[in-house]
Amino acid sequence: MEMEPWEVWVRSTDLHFFVLRHPWMWPLCETIHYIGLSLLLGTVGLFDLRALGVAKGIAPYAIHRLIRWGIAGFILNIITGIVFFFGYPEQYAYNNAFYFKAAFMGIAGFNILAFYGTSAFRQVQTLGPNADVPGRIKLIAATSLSMWIGVLICGRLLTFFRPPFFHSG
Amino acid sequence: MDPFLAFIENGALSTFIRETPTVFVFPAILTLHTIGMGVLAGGGIAIDLRILGFAPKMALAPIGRFFPVLWLALVVNAISGVLLLIAYPTKALTNPLFYVKLLLIALAVVVLVRIKHRIFDDPKIERMPIERGDKRLALFSIAIWLAAIAAGRLLAYTYRWEMLGIPAIT
Repeated sequence: MEMEPWEVWVRSTDLHFFVLRHPWMWPLCETIHYIGLSLLLGTVGLFDLRALGVAKGIAPYAIHRLIRWGIAGFILNIITGIVFFFGYPEQYAYNNAFYFKAAFMGIAGFNILAFYGTSAFRQVQTLGPNADVPGRIKLIAATSLSMWIGVLICGRLLTFFRPPFFHSG
Repeated sequence: MDPFLAFIENGALSTFIRETPTVFVFPAILTLHTIGMGVLAGGGIAIDLRILGFAPKMALAPIGRFFPVLWLALVVNAISGVLLLIAYPTKALTNPLFYVKLLLIALAVVVLVRIKHRIFDDPKIERMPIERGDKRLALFSIAIWLAAIAAGRLLAYTYRWEMLGIPAIT
């Protein structure tokens, strides 16, 4: 199978050669990727659960302070994700699990816009302990929780949907 | 040949988990194990961060309500972990890192229970500042969760035997 021009380019980059030449790179980045996903799921997940009514004694704005740790985890995962892609691009570019993972991340992205880009966020910030979160925002929280779990599922299943061809060994 | 490992590995359940050609068996178990890890370690770290003072306005007492979610994740991971172990007993049990991982998780859970008793089960908790010792415990907890995640992930790169008589290809 002929390589597409973008893949020829990816395979000519320093990052590609760096990943291939240093066998410790992959395990290191996988480990960071798992730490990143735990930070994201742990902090964003707890915030979403609070919005959905678990641990209602916590004011939503107060638990929202933990979200920045989830963002840090997400950034770690974007960086390590780029390393994976540049190491073995065709493993991702021709993989249905990766397409679904990207789609779930896209929906999660629009969901983030629906939260921070509208009055929803300001509304949540005014709520105190024991306050019920409005239904519209509960829907955003439920979407967030299910999309990030979807991203995790597709990511974990990636290797089982690997394309049968490999351009290099 | 180790007769115990051979007994498990040749058993019906082990073969079923390992060889059923659908994502709904082995890959699904592995995925549940990863979700459980994210919820338990990630949720544990989030609670530790609160104890360390990173979300200072967050009420402490209601955090106890999150613990059932963490225990559920622990149960999911104990069950999925045993199933993964049954699928590839040689791969896990001949790797010293596997025992390190188990010890780290055991330690992390003990610390989590201790944090729950010392902080979240204390009715006076909202009325006084968190003690230094409890903050140290939370910091220690984060360190063990990170080490446990690392140990678990690195199992995929450190095993010497795939199955009995079959060396790892790595």
